[in-house]
Amino acid sequence: MSGTSAALTAAREADAIAARTVKTLQAEGKHADARERFAELVGRHQRRASRIAYHYLRETADADEAVQDAFVKAYSHLFTFREELPFDVWFTRILINGCLDRIKARTRRERWLVPMGRVAGAPTDGTSADRDLTERLASAGASPEAALLSRERRQQIAAALARLPERQRAVFVLSHVEGCTSREVSALTGLNESTVRVHLFRAIRKLRTLLASDRAAVPHAELKGKRRVTS
Amino acid sequence: MSLLERLGRGHLSDREFARLWTTAGGHPHLEACATCRARFEEFDRWVLGIGDELRVDADAAFPIERMAAQQAQITRRLEAMEHPARVLAFPKAARAVISGHSHVRRWVTVAAAAGLIAGVGLGQVLDIHRTVERTARVSAPVSQLAVTTAARANAAVTSAVLTSEDDFLSDADAFSRPRVSSALLPLEDMTPHARDLVDRSR
Repeated sequence: MSGTSAALTAAREADAIAARTVKTLQAEGKHADARERFAELVGRHQRRASRIAYHYLRETADADEAVQDAFVKAYSHLFTFREELPFDVWFTRILINGCLDRIKARTRRERWLVPMGRVAGAPTDGTSADRDLTERLASAGASPEAALLSRERRQQIAAALARLPERQRAVFVLSHVEGCTSREVSALTGLNESTVRVHLFRAIRKLRTLLASDRAAVPHAELKGKRRVTS
Repeated sequence: MSLLERLGRGHLSDREFARLWTTAGGHPHLEACATCRARFEEFDRWVLGIGDELRVDADAAFPIERMAAQQAQITRRLEAMEHPARVLAFPKAARAVISGHSHVRRWVTVAAAAGLIAGVGLGQVLDIHRTVERTARVSAPVSQLAVTTAARANAAVTSAVLTSEDDFLSDADAFSRPRVSSALLPLEDMTPHARDLVDRSR
């Protein structure tokens, strides 16, 4: 654990140096150099940012755009970055705000438009998930059956996660997917540390209930399917 | 293990596990009960497993090629920020011939309106004038007829001569005879008149 925290500290120091350098280069008008240096930060945080955006938005294209927007915004507002705060915390906050804006816009849009592919119980990103399935099956080392089971399990978890209230989901994703501490989650979301723990507790409890009910529902559905076939 | 059995033995519930997991705290029962310890370990694996599954899911949605494309796109957008897009002027619309001289157009419009008003007014005046003339022409024979009829009536009374209906008809025919154009005169001549009948009977 101490090794992990030491690595995290080192990464944060490197981020701080890179951010400081980019800021200086921007101020000097050396934009090409600033961009080049900023690309290092992009490379370091891109994967993590994509995961967070994906869990917020549940749509690959939307998450992709949210990540791009967040990096562009971070670059153009780097002069407001306070160095006492870790870069990843500052940047993740920009990203989360962008994701929340997109969710709001999507909700407004969906009030008027009902997507064709959306059916009750289906995953939100069913089309892209189906498209990706063949690629994943082809590329994965596991047998197709194992890959399919694994994919179903992931879909169940994602669907259960999507049913959590927004704050619970955010806290769960940040602490369990990204491994942030309660203090970091508190800094990222602007919530109190004790509130973060309460949200985390409720999220775990609800996920446990949702996934347990999913497990119970599967044999029932299978039985119904068999009955339908035999009758 | 059923819920009742668990409660009866004082075992910890999932709720307790979630609380312990979140706060990273301990519980005296967990130390003492091997069953609950095993269940808690299973719970711990389950929670961590969810995090792993979600991470795998997100990473599968963003393969390396996609990440590379994303980074390239970010770089392009940052470059574009420094060279803001040049705004091209929209092509000028073709102008009307007199659109550039608004005062000329205004004068033309005013002159056209004035001409129209003058034309309409003059037309009205001429029409009234013609109507008056026509009325005067029609009313003159009528008044003459009235005067003549009155004189004859007086004469009839004074001379005590019998006034026949034929005379009256004859006079009326003479005065009420419309003015006929020269082209219709032959037809007029061919038409029998009341006066001819009167003359013949006399």
